[in-house]
Amino acid sequence: MLTRREAVQLIAMTAAAVTLAGVAAQAADAAIKIGLDLSLTGADAESAARIRNGALMAFEELNARRELPGYTLEPLILDDGTATAGQYDPAQAATNARKMVSDKAVVAAIGPMMSGAGKAMAPILSQGNLATITPSSTNPDITSPKFAGEYRPAGKAIYFRTVTTDAFQGPNLANYFADKLKVQSVYVLDDSGAYGVGIADAFQKRAEEKGIKVLGRDRLDPKAADYTTILTKIKALNPDALYYGGVSQAGVKLAKQSYDVLPKVIKGGGDGMYSAEMLSAAGFPAADGWYATIASPHTTEDKVADAWVKQYQAKYGMAPSDYAITAYDAALVIADAVKRVIADGKDVNRDTVRDYIQTAKVNTLQGTVAFDANGDLRDRTISVFQIKKDPNYSADDMVHQYHYIGVAPQS
Amino acid sequence: MTTFDLLLQQTINGLSLGAMYSLLALGFTLVYGILELINFSHFNVFMIGSFVSLFVLQSFGLSGQEVILTGVPLAGVLLVAFVVTMAFCGGLGVVVERVTLRPLRNVKGPAAMITSIGVSYILFNIILLTVGADSKNFPNPMPAIRWHIGEATLDFRVLLIWAIALLLMGTLYMFVQRSRIGKAMRATAQDAEAARMMGVEVDKVIMMAFFLGSALAGAGGLIFGLYYNFTSFIIGFTAGLRAFTAAVLGGIGNVPGAMVGGVLIGLIEAMGGQFIATAWTDVIIFSILVLVLVFKPAGLFGRIAPNKS
Repeated sequence: MLTRREAVQLIAMTAAAVTLAGVAAQAADAAIKIGLDLSLTGADAESAARIRNGALMAFEELNARRELPGYTLEPLILDDGTATAGQYDPAQAATNARKMVSDKAVVAAIGPMMSGAGKAMAPILSQGNLATITPSSTNPDITSPKFAGEYRPAGKAIYFRTVTTDAFQGPNLANYFADKLKVQSVYVLDDSGAYGVGIADAFQKRAEEKGIKVLGRDRLDPKAADYTTILTKIKALNPDALYYGGVSQAGVKLAKQSYDVLPKVIKGGGDGMYSAEMLSAAGFPAADGWYATIASPHTTEDKVADAWVKQYQAKYGMAPSDYAITAYDAALVIADAVKRVIADGKDVNRDTVRDYIQTAKVNTLQGTVAFDANGDLRDRTISVFQIKKDPNYSADDMVHQYHYIGVAPQS
Repeated sequence: MTTFDLLLQQTINGLSLGAMYSLLALGFTLVYGILELINFSHFNVFMIGSFVSLFVLQSFGLSGQEVILTGVPLAGVLLVAFVVTMAFCGGLGVVVERVTLRPLRNVKGPAAMITSIGVSYILFNIILLTVGADSKNFPNPMPAIRWHIGEATLDFRVLLIWAIALLLMGTLYMFVQRSRIGKAMRATAQDAEAARMMGVEVDKVIMMAFFLGSALAGAGGLIFGLYYNFTSFIIGFTAGLRAFTAAVLGGIGNVPGAMVGGVLIGLIEAMGGQFIATAWTDVIIFSILVLVLVFKPAGLFGRIAPNKS
């Protein structure tokens, strides 16, 4: 029989041994930090959580199966949403980019979620030669060679995407409106953000080319509460459709109020309207019938991702969005780059990781991810959804409340 | 839609906005009239009012847009929601005054105003950290009854909102004009020193001004929720700024001026959006404000205050 004192000593020694073993194991593995910049505060918080979980799930899996021998991936989560902006805040995004660049352990990043944040971050990341892969920001200017001086002053591509851009997302829904829904006239709104204005412009241009009459264009203040004025004006013009370029802060209110004022008008938006907030904050019946696109293939209902979706749901208690998958895939691409750097016997740092991300060709859930010279995804699929209430699933289940229609026509 | 119907509809929209701005503007005006203090914490007392009323409605089992009430249950639920929200916000206003502003009462300069900005941010962050950053779905228990006038529509809930706002403003006006403490408030606004010498308890009067103003802001928050069916920690700023503008436009310190100012700002917002563009709303509102102030520096109904020494 052990005496009490002996028992305590034994426990203490065991604990010490376990702790030491743990420390030893950790010391053997060097930590590679991956920055993760999302808009976790404000109107897009729920969608941001889904994206964050996708990336975190990848890190956990990769670490658990020791994908990178001798290294563990460690996320550095940063929030570019601020309370005063109520959504993403470009100034905070720039601060976060500086934080990542100044931390030498950060060799790559995932994010940002929003194009408005991306425009502020890209020049800083370029100066630090820190590659980032965005799972959801789609404004084409950031990677366009036309604006290289502004967004990649140091020359090399550092802004990669596991989604395509609004150069396709806006126009392709215009194609869908014209060809499939036979829309003859449309009113276009945006939310005055970088993403919203860009995608609304791209939509409008293609709509005009397709012969859809654009009855007008106006801009919403995302912080204002009241859009009934503009909706009344639109009602008087009697358009077939309303297109909104923008994210949740204005989008949710627009959905609610347009349901009252323009109940019969076809309404659509980009991936800003593919959000958990549309389902929870705008809610049914207001959200019902809205069209939305995403700038990636639709994967959450694909057989390939079946097990993944179940695991995600069990782990985080919510259904994933397709952008949870593009974030997961972004992490896979970074891990693949690091792995190849190690295999080639090179030092794992920002320069090598960036170069190996550039040459990536990775099999992911959404398909093969490879980038062009500017960092844009080679796959240019745009998927179209319509919100239709399915009472068998929870109201904010993005897999089942967004009904997948198909791939939007490219021309 | 004919031009007449369109104008009618925009007038309805503008009056609904105006009702909210007026309720909120009254709080600025009551406090300014007595203390010459621009109380920025008022912005977020309004926001907290919308959350308090959300919790009250949820405690009745109302959430989302599914439950519709009529008749006595509707009246009862709304009455309780208004009473609880107004009492809570009124109390909050009194606490803010007692704890943060009274100690600065005799400090010259902008210290009190800056403090009120700080309090505003504290209230804002309390909600952000406890309730969360996402917008909340606000229940709408009112039946979807609509009247059509030509092609313009008037909702039952809009009519109800107008009626409640008018009732509250009328009651406040009568209270300030007729009651004993209302008289004391007006006396303090004219000359606090002299009022004190006549036996007016100035501290009590100031507390009353904060209570009434904040209670009306709470009512405004509830009306906001019922009208827009959402609330969020951020709603105080835009609405607060426009309501403050309304108070200045009407002549800050003047109770009927704040009511008229609120309605005017609401109508300007609606008509500006119709005839120019919503992107220009703030430019239009503030241009009109500047124009009015150039020709009438004290606002539409204000008087230049006699020099207080």
